[in-house]
Amino acid sequence: MNKVSTSIFLIFIVIVGWIVYLTNIKQDDSLTMKYYSVQELINKKSDISNIKLGGNIKPNSIEISEDDQLEAFFYVYQNQDSVKVYYYGIRPDLFTDDAEVVVSGSYSNNLITAKELQTKCASRYEGDLKNVEKI
Amino acid sequence: MISQIGSIAISLAGGLIFSSFIFLCLYKLRNDKTYLDISERSILSTCYCIFLAFFCLLNELLISNFNLQYVAQYTSYETPTFYKVTALWAGQAGSLLFWSFITSLFTVIYIFETLKKMENLKFNSYLILTFIFSFFIILSSFIANPFEPVSSDIVVQNGNGLNPLLQNFFMAIHPPILYVGFTGCTIIFVMAMAASISKNVSFDWVRSIRRWSLIVWTFLSAGIILGGYWAYNELGWGGYWAWDPVENSSLMPWLTLTAFIHSSMIQEKRGMLKKWNILLATSTYLLVVLGTFITRSGVISSVHSFTAENLGPLFFTFLSVLILYTVFWFLRRKTYLETDDKIDSFTSREGGFLYNNLILILMCFTIMWGTLFPILSEAWDGEKIYVGQSYFNQLNVPIGLVLLFLMGIGPLLSWKSTSYKVLRKNFLIPMSTSFLVGSLYFIFSVKYNFYVLVAIMGVSFTLSSILGEYYKSLKKFRKRNSNIIIATYKMFMSNRHQNGGYLVHIGIVLLFIGFIGRAFESEKEFSLSPGEQIYFNNYIFKLNSIKSEARDNHYAFMSDIDVIDDKNKLLTNLKPEKRIYFYWNSDPEKRQPHSELDIYSTIQKDVYSIFSAYDAEKNLGYFKIMINPLVNWVWIGGILMVVGSLFAFWPNRIRR
Repeated sequence: MNKVSTSIFLIFIVIVGWIVYLTNIKQDDSLTMKYYSVQELINKKSDISNIKLGGNIKPNSIEISEDDQLEAFFYVYQNQDSVKVYYYGIRPDLFTDDAEVVVSGSYSNNLITAKELQTKCASRYEGDLKNVEKI
Repeated sequence: MISQIGSIAISLAGGLIFSSFIFLCLYKLRNDKTYLDISERSILSTCYCIFLAFFCLLNELLISNFNLQYVAQYTSYETPTFYKVTALWAGQAGSLLFWSFITSLFTVIYIFETLKKMENLKFNSYLILTFIFSFFIILSSFIANPFEPVSSDIVVQNGNGLNPLLQNFFMAIHPPILYVGFTGCTIIFVMAMAASISKNVSFDWVRSIRRWSLIVWTFLSAGIILGGYWAYNELGWGGYWAWDPVENSSLMPWLTLTAFIHSSMIQEKRGMLKKWNILLATSTYLLVVLGTFITRSGVISSVHSFTAENLGPLFFTFLSVLILYTVFWFLRRKTYLETDDKIDSFTSREGGFLYNNLILILMCFTIMWGTLFPILSEAWDGEKIYVGQSYFNQLNVPIGLVLLFLMGIGPLLSWKSTSYKVLRKNFLIPMSTSFLVGSLYFIFSVKYNFYVLVAIMGVSFTLSSILGEYYKSLKKFRKRNSNIIIATYKMFMSNRHQNGGYLVHIGIVLLFIGFIGRAFESEKEFSLSPGEQIYFNNYIFKLNSIKSEARDNHYAFMSDIDVIDDKNKLLTNLKPEKRIYFYWNSDPEKRQPHSELDIYSTIQKDVYSIFSAYDAEKNLGYFKIMINPLVNWVWIGGILMVVGSLFAFWPNRIRR
């Protein structure tokens, strides 16, 4: 094999190796996280260290600590099911009742301890017209 | 009246583009050039109709014609005139018309500038353009019509107004600049397809498409950087890149286009890599369409998504047709695109370009895989997977570092092959500089990080390699001109293409310096009452006061924070605000809170302050402070990339 062919062979090996690695990212907890549904979590008996969950904030469920406003408990619901979430930190601007949120963190004793809390960003207004009068 | 004209203009554009298709069929059947000319005029008229529709919509936005759904949804009487203009691309319908508008502009330039010199590409170019225009006109006519009136049983007293987050100068200009880049890829696709179908992948073609690529690349780069700048200054999470699917969608075509700009140089110099270049040029546009599909279909959750109308299936069909068409013609022209000339050695300039291409494509593929993985996984076994920033950072950082070194290696290699002696001579200074700077970091760093070490070595290697090339060129010019300024000027002007390219590379090196800063970021969240202070990262943050006032379109809580350095000297005064837009609305859900940041920015670091919440009862403010080192280098690097690219785009005048 000449030098050019060897180089091409090595490049080929690297690319194939890379692709094989990429197909297995699901196994690597540091790269990916599984999205759980509330139903799945409720049925789960064991603790989970790395989860992601999307849903809406249950109206009137937000409890903010009187001593420290950074500390909050709230419920996230999907259909009829809901799960309690604890979050310490600055909450996003759009964190209100019924807002669509995604939390990530750990799950233990029917409680999600969220490390991250995101709300759906309203970077596009797609809502109904606000100032209308019926004829 | 004007809105009706706009609506008619869109319908007329539809009719004209259909007639273009008919005339192209007649040309193919009868082989009469008159039909091709008529088709050309039909396409041009389509473009003019789109221009008209665009200006009609602009007029309606400016006069606040709330009888139009689009105008009522994205503007209000209070919206400043500048943002009424930018509302053109704030929503789905407007942005699609804007997309067609820029495509039309490019098409007119393409017809009058490029096709004038390349008559052979006309038929296939018109055919592909007809297909692309038809798709966008169908969308604007039937799915997302910006001239759609509001329901007849209501009167809109005032529009919703533009989202406050979008009322920012950089956000206003970021989408159109990015759109110019995206739509410019249409021409690159059309040129690549037309040339391979008509078997005209000539030297002139490669020169012409490279010029198109450079200008498109400039806009794409500027759009991406401006997006990051807006996110950093407006969104309040302290970063400029989050690996969001929509951000990734803009980066993927940028990567393939960058690869194309490099590999087309090999075709220009040695006539090689025709097949590869056609693949890169076409896939760039296919990635743009894929990105548009991601943004507008809602299949992947993203903070940027448009979701009101589901355009997913339509874009998916459009993308599928384009892919099939590309693959079909690529396979049919495979033999034509073969070249006899092969790469002699991988330690050559073309070898360097090839490595660079592979790395860029590997990066593009990794990003695409991560972006699409959630839907692929769900389709495969129903499992919903989230691919976070850690995936993109962990996998792209090493690839990016290899690319950084390659940028420095490229200029040190000769065309065809580089002898060992030349290699040793050329690599000596960059390698020594790199090891020296790396060792200094290793010895004196307080917070050691392996990637930072490699990045610092890469930055110094590449920078010394490029500066060394400039120095060598300058030495030649100094022999003829004793004045260093004149010699430098002549050196830069002598080969704008290469020198512009080097400027772009220096810009990218500066970007990497900014990226290095991310390893040293720190942040703190805390609460303070007026008069209290907190110590963080060698600074004292003292809250002087929190005041409030009602303004035109929002209510603001204004904090006043002194930042005192370790020498007890007042460094700066920060005034982050908490704003409530639509505070007068009785429905709390319609009110929109927003944190207006304040940043103390220097070349070494930024002190980034966010006023997160205010407890009026306790008179307590909640804040987040971030210390972000070296961020400004990202913007400086971005500017240099754009300047360098424009410099390379400009034709050579002075020749040696």
